[in-house]
Amino acid sequence: MTAVASPLARFLVKVFAWLPLAFAAWYFAAPVLLWPAKLLLELVARLGFADLVTAVEQNAATFTFVTLLKPGDVTGKTAQLIVDVDGLLYSFGLPLFAALVIAARAPRWGRVLALGYAVMVPFIAFGVFADFLKDVTLGAGPLVASQTGFLGWQLEAIAFSYQIGALILPTIVPAIAWLLTHRAFLEQMRQA
Amino acid sequence: MLTCALRAASIPRGAVPPMIRFFVVFVALQAGLFAAELTPWAQEYFVVPWTNALAAISAWLVTLIDPNVAATGKVLQSTRNGFAVSIESGCNGVEATIVLVAAILAFPASWKRRLIGLAVGIIAVQGLNIVRVISLFYLGQWDLRVFEWAHLYVWQALIMLDVLVVWLVWVRTLPPPDAGPVPAPG
Repeated sequence: MTAVASPLARFLVKVFAWLPLAFAAWYFAAPVLLWPAKLLLELVARLGFADLVTAVEQNAATFTFVTLLKPGDVTGKTAQLIVDVDGLLYSFGLPLFAALVIAARAPRWGRVLALGYAVMVPFIAFGVFADFLKDVTLGAGPLVASQTGFLGWQLEAIAFSYQIGALILPTIVPAIAWLLTHRAFLEQMRQA
Repeated sequence: MLTCALRAASIPRGAVPPMIRFFVVFVALQAGLFAAELTPWAQEYFVVPWTNALAAISAWLVTLIDPNVAATGKVLQSTRNGFAVSIESGCNGVEATIVLVAAILAFPASWKRRLIGLAVGIIAVQGLNIVRVISLFYLGQWDLRVFEWAHLYVWQALIMLDVLVVWLVWVRTLPPPDAGPVPAPG
């Protein structure tokens, strides 16, 4: 049992040592780390949802979607619905991935770190956008939802995307990215 | 072991590489199980009873050292100060369990070893999840900001780390794919 556990145990100790530092770095660097996700969100909004979203803004780790939707009965007044989404909720896999990569110290780990980050950014953007769509369709009441014009099956797809974007992707993507980039390390660990 | 098992056999021309096959099957199982989990039937007959049981077990464990705790449905509540935590999707360990089940079923192994891996792995994941629920229950009574941090970010990552470690340990216990029968001693 010791032979089975020890290389993994040593690796785990390193992961736990790096995890608090990785979380701290992620939290304080989030405005910068999430900036590429903001660019992606702008692109998606412009290309696919121009009739719904006029701008995507970023304030620290929060994304703000400025929409063309009216928030309620505002006859005679001009009002736009603005939706905030917390980017940290969809990016906590970044420190997990960083801790795993740094603890493994595979060759060219810095490059692996950058590659994993690049892979994870679109999934972060996916989760944030699905959260926004869920808010304006399923969470904002019938008056707002009716303005979006989504069909029944599209609402189902939004609900599913939100669930998978919030509950599955933020944790599973870093784990898969780490496995795919550390096959040689895993083999070494098995043979140790 | 991962690469060993997945590289072991020479790949016939036109065959799907084992690593690709593993990830395709893993993602398909993952998506299927997650979609099934969201159906009203699964929610009523599996997720809700599972979550209630988790709250009841957590309350029972806590009352061993703190009698001022009660569980009602999926809510764990302090009878002393009224603070309560409700175990919702993402906190009941069902999604983490789905990931583990998909990873074990997608990996090439005998059904016997898969079943052992599933039984031990699910206990390990749910065990840590109970620690998560109980720790959050007390963190919330101590400091709500710390509770939010632990709840939304730290424990989510730790549970996935648990799944990853359990799966790695299971994979390491598998025999090499090209190992023949064990020769008789002497």
